[in-house]
Amino acid sequence: MTATDTTRRLEISSIKSFGEYAWKRLSARPRLTVGCILVAFVVFMGIFAPWIAPNDPSESSINVLIGPTHANWFGTDDLGRDVFSRVIYGARTSLIIGIGGAVVAVLVGAPIGLLAGYLGGVVDLILVPVIDLFLAMPALVLALIIITMVGASFGNIVLVLGFVMWPIIARLVRGQALTVKTQPFVDAAKVAGAGPIWIMRKHVWPNLMRVIAAQFAIIVSFCIFTSASLSFLGLGVPPPTPDWGGMVRTGSDFLSINPLMSLAPGLAVAVTAVGFYLMGSAVE
Amino acid sequence: MFGVVVRRLALGVPTIFAATLLLFVSVAKLGSPAAEMLGQDATPDAIAALNLKYGFDKPVLEQYLNWLASALHGDLGRSYVSQELVSETLIHALPVSLELAFWAFLFALLASVILNTVPVGRSLLTPFTTSLNVIGMAVPNFMLGLFLIFFFAIRLKILPTTGWVGWDQGPFEHLRHLVLPVLTLAAYYFATFSIIYRAEFLSVQRRLFVRVAAAKGLSNWHVAFTHILPNAILPVITIAGLSIGQAIGGAVVTETIFSMPGVGGLFVSSIVGHDFPTMLAIGMITVAGVVLFNTIADLLLAIVNPLIRMS
Repeated sequence: MTATDTTRRLEISSIKSFGEYAWKRLSARPRLTVGCILVAFVVFMGIFAPWIAPNDPSESSINVLIGPTHANWFGTDDLGRDVFSRVIYGARTSLIIGIGGAVVAVLVGAPIGLLAGYLGGVVDLILVPVIDLFLAMPALVLALIIITMVGASFGNIVLVLGFVMWPIIARLVRGQALTVKTQPFVDAAKVAGAGPIWIMRKHVWPNLMRVIAAQFAIIVSFCIFTSASLSFLGLGVPPPTPDWGGMVRTGSDFLSINPLMSLAPGLAVAVTAVGFYLMGSAVE
Repeated sequence: MFGVVVRRLALGVPTIFAATLLLFVSVAKLGSPAAEMLGQDATPDAIAALNLKYGFDKPVLEQYLNWLASALHGDLGRSYVSQELVSETLIHALPVSLELAFWAFLFALLASVILNTVPVGRSLLTPFTTSLNVIGMAVPNFMLGLFLIFFFAIRLKILPTTGWVGWDQGPFEHLRHLVLPVLTLAAYYFATFSIIYRAEFLSVQRRLFVRVAAAKGLSNWHVAFTHILPNAILPVITIAGLSIGQAIGGAVVTETIFSMPGVGGLFVSSIVGHDFPTMLAIGMITVAGVVLFNTIADLLLAIVNPLIRMS
C-alpha cells in the first residue's frame, strides 16, 4: 500500500454521512462522475419516458415543421409529431440497442479472447488471425453490408453490432489473459490440481472483470454511435419506432426550417455516447 | 527493412483474400442477387435467366474465384444498377475520398501534436484537448457535420453547406467546400492521435535526457519540440496505420452528409441499391487500403527507429 492510499483511507474514515462519502469518491474522479451523470440522465429519460414526454411520440398533427413553442419545446417534425417527446422515447431505442450490442460483443468476444490468451499454442495461432481479420474491417462498413443482407430490424441490428464489436473485446481479453496467466496464483492452482477450465473460470475470469466492465461501457458508446450512423444512412431501426439516428436523417433535410428537429436528437446521441465513453475510459 | 515489408505483406495479402471471400460468401448466401435486382414482381423464369447471365447458379467458391481472377486483371465487373464499369466509376470517386482523407489526416496530425506539445498555457490547453478527444471519440461524425453545417453554413453563411467543386473551378472555391468535411472527418483521427501522443509525451517527459536538456538551459519550447516530440511520435505512426480502417467508416458518413461524390457515398448508394459488384469492389479496396497503410506505418517505424530496423 502506498502513502496516498493510506491518506485516502484516513480521509474516508473521518467522513460521517454516505452523501459526503459518495461526494468525496466522485469528485476525485471527474471523468467517471460526469459520465455517470450523463448516463443516469439518459437512463432516467428512457425508463420514465411515458411520464416525462408531454405528447404521444407517434401522434401526427396538422402543425407541421413549426419551430419551438410552449406546447412543442423542440417544435414538430415533417409529420407534425412532437420532436421533444420523440427524443425522450428515442432514449429507449438507443439504450436497448447499445447495451444489447455490447452484451452480444462480450458474450462472443470474451470466451474467444480467453481461450486464445490462456490456452495459447495452436488455439491462439488460429484465433488471432481471425480477430485481426475482423479488426481490419471498418465496423461501420461491415455492419452496413451485413444489415443489407439480413434486413434492418431491431433484433438484427443488436446482433450485427455485437458481431462487428466482438474482436475489440476478444483482443483486450486475450492480452489481459496473457498477463494474468503468468501470476503465481495460477501456478498455485495448477499445483493444487485444477484443470484449465476451472482455472479460467475461477482464477483468470474474475481478474478480467474490471477491464471488461470498462470496455463494456466503451463498446456501448460505440454501438450507440454505430447504430445511429446506420440509421442516419437509412439502414437503422424501421420507421415507426422513435430512433435518434433516423430522426437526424429526416431532420437534416429541414435544417433551415426547424433545426431542432435534427440537432436535438443528434445532441442526444452525442450526450449518451459521450456519457458511456467517459464511464468506460475513466476506469482504464 | 525489407524483412518488415515481407512480414507485413505475408500477413496482409491473405487478409485481403479472406476478407473478400467473407464478403462474397455473405452476399451470395444471405440474399439472392437476382431476386433483389428484379424486385417483387420477378417471375421465377426471369430470375433463372439472370442467374445464368451473371453465374449466380454456380457454386459460391467458383463464383468467388471467377470474380477474383477478373478483379486481379482490373476488371471489377459492371454495376447492376447503372450498367457502367465499376472500375470506371471508382476512378472518378477515389480522388475525392483520397483528398478528403489526406487533408483530414494532415490536419488531425498537426493539431493533435501541436496542442499536446506546446509548453505554454497547459492549464487551459489540457482540459481543452481532453474535451476534444472525448468529442472526437464518442460523438458520431454525422452529428459533428450537422452542427458544423448549421453554424457555419446556415447561421453564419460563410461556408457552403454541401457539395463538391473541382480544382478546375478555382482552388479557393474548391478548398472552401472542403473545410467542413475535413473538420468532420478529422475529429476521429484527432482523438485517436491525441490520446496516444499525449500518453507517450508524458512518459517521455519523465526520461533522463529531457531533464538533461532542460538542465543545459534549453528553453521549454526547444525541449518540447526537438527532444520530446521526436521520441513521442512513434506510436502515433502505428496507430495512424491501424485507425485508417475505422476512418474509412467515418468517410462513408462524412461523404453522405456533405453529398460528396467519393467512394464512401458510392458505397452507401451501392448498398441501398443492392449493387453487389460495386459493393464488393469497395470492400476489397477498403481492406487493401488498411493492409497497405499498416505496411507503410511499419515501414516508417523501421525508418525512424533503428532498433526495429536491426531486428
